[in-house]
Amino acid sequence: MIAVELQNLAKRYGRKQVLKNVSLTVESGDFMVVFGLPASGKSVLVRLLTGLETPDQGRVILRGADVSKLSAGERNIGYVPQSFALYPHFTVRQNISYPLDLARVPKAEIEPEVQRVAGLLGIQELLDRKPDQLSGGQKQRVAIARGLIKRTDIYVLDDPLVGLDFKLRERLIDDLKRTQELLKVTFIYTTSDAVESLMLAGKIAVLDAGEIVECGAPETLYANPQRVQTMHHVAFPQANLTPGMLRQQSGELLVETPLSCMKFDGERPEKPFGDIQIGVRPEHIRIGAPPADGWLTHQAKVLLREDLGGEEIVYLDVNGVVLTTVLRSDDQTQQHVEIDQIVRISIPPQQMVVFQEGRRIGVCKISE
Amino acid sequence: MQSTRARTTVYYLILWLVAILFFLPVFWILMASFKTPNDILAVPPKFIFQPTLSNILDMLSRPNTVPYFINSLYLSITSVSLAIVVSFLAAYALSRYKFRATNFLMFLILSTRMVPAAAFVVPIFQMFNAFQWRNQFGVLMLYTMFSIPFSLWILKGFIDGVSTRYDETGFVNGASRLHVMFRVVLPQVRPGLIAAFIFNLIFVWNEFLLNFILGGPGTQMIPYALAVGLVSAGGNIDWAFVASLSTGYVLLPTIMIFLFQKYLLVGMTFGTVRGEV
Repeated sequence: MIAVELQNLAKRYGRKQVLKNVSLTVESGDFMVVFGLPASGKSVLVRLLTGLETPDQGRVILRGADVSKLSAGERNIGYVPQSFALYPHFTVRQNISYPLDLARVPKAEIEPEVQRVAGLLGIQELLDRKPDQLSGGQKQRVAIARGLIKRTDIYVLDDPLVGLDFKLRERLIDDLKRTQELLKVTFIYTTSDAVESLMLAGKIAVLDAGEIVECGAPETLYANPQRVQTMHHVAFPQANLTPGMLRQQSGELLVETPLSCMKFDGERPEKPFGDIQIGVRPEHIRIGAPPADGWLTHQAKVLLREDLGGEEIVYLDVNGVVLTTVLRSDDQTQQHVEIDQIVRISIPPQQMVVFQEGRRIGVCKISE
Repeated sequence: MQSTRARTTVYYLILWLVAILFFLPVFWILMASFKTPNDILAVPPKFIFQPTLSNILDMLSRPNTVPYFINSLYLSITSVSLAIVVSFLAAYALSRYKFRATNFLMFLILSTRMVPAAAFVVPIFQMFNAFQWRNQFGVLMLYTMFSIPFSLWILKGFIDGVSTRYDETGFVNGASRLHVMFRVVLPQVRPGLIAAFIFNLIFVWNEFLLNFILGGPGTQMIPYALAVGLVSAGGNIDWAFVASLSTGYVLLPTIMIFLFQKYLLVGMTFGTVRGEV
């Protein structure tokens, strides 16, 4: 069953077209993450979905019924707003029970519900406090609890973990994932964080400049991104992008980059020439000799190392292009490096993805 | 360490001196209301005297004194309360529905308070005469109107400080606009309401010119009584009466400020108006 369907939504504020023709289908029970960089239109999407604003064009369909004309309160959506928005004059208990109070649920039924969601999020002992006595993570849990207590099947979480520290986010990510699986409800979750998206999502929709450019399971999007924004942003560390040129020479298509000149491998594009972008994931760049034939190799200078404990991000200068690579500390086959050291790097060309006008057109192939 | 403490002591000494200097006239009035007329004007001033309640009893027994107090209380509290209600509704609207010329509108509303009362008292008098508004209701409306601009400015500042996400969380959960205004936003701007209330209450409580010109028996307030009762039948200034009436007069603002000084401070720092009236 389809829980949420957005059809051709568009919204403009003054001269700025914030959303252009957004369509999205969310199956019932899905954990849908809408990933987008800041100012990509995520919040506007949420506002249109929840009914806080009306779209200039398009329809919102919930549980099979067109709700475009219904007010926010009539859409029956559980909502976790950005930046908590806990009522400072209410206790935690009153904050959590707020959606039920508004729905005039009998008092006797409210308390067990509050206990249940508080238990789910581990905040039972905070119920009698006021929001200003809570830490950031506790506030966030209360806000999530207030969203989840609503008796419904669709929940919208608008970037709920933004601004929390790393460790706390990781814990809440686990909690959210577990909660969603437990309740078997539909979550629509916006974020600008790639790790959050990949960890949480059943499906990711990538929103860029007011359009959903790609939508799919996180594994698919990661392994086989069709759009340059997806490859570049939905990853940590971000994928390397280098500019290049597509050129025709004696019937063959060549990919020219500052690193090398390679053959193009893929279906012949409509426009077999012009500017392109080449994306390579950091984990595909190897420091050291190629383990097999047919790899691209190059000299590189080590610019910077960021030690993350388990792994290390190395910034390399390759012919004026900065590439990042990831070294696992326990990987004995990889060479360890020092700053300013000149090293040899190898890249499998089939991992060098060619994008033309933002769309994937093929990969590279080494020319003999 | 030693020098810091010495410096702090000097600062406090200066602060206390200035405060006492400012308080002296009030102190003189307070003392005078318990002195006999002879003691009031004694040279050198008498600090030790036999306190008497006769001034206060005399003041209260004059035919119009109690009505003056009632008028003052009624007009100031009612008009400011009305103004706060209107201002809260207007401030919410101006804060949440971003009308095209909101800032200009806010300026226009405040501009009514930029002109000194002396400049418009005559046209207002003529208008009130023509419409036959020179009664309690008319004066009440006038004071309400004059209390709106500052209240609106203070409250708009406060409501702007309440994130619209609070409103939206309410809406998504099925709350009405009225619920959001009175149950979600109102409790969060309580300091602003109190600050606006006190500022304007003191303004209306102290207002003299309009009251003097427009007023009739149903509207005359204590400042009017002070002006009229200042000179006694013999042509002398009736210090005993002035002192005892003033003592009663400063009671309400003093209590208000004492009780709500916390909010007054919040109002002055968070609101857009800093220490007006």
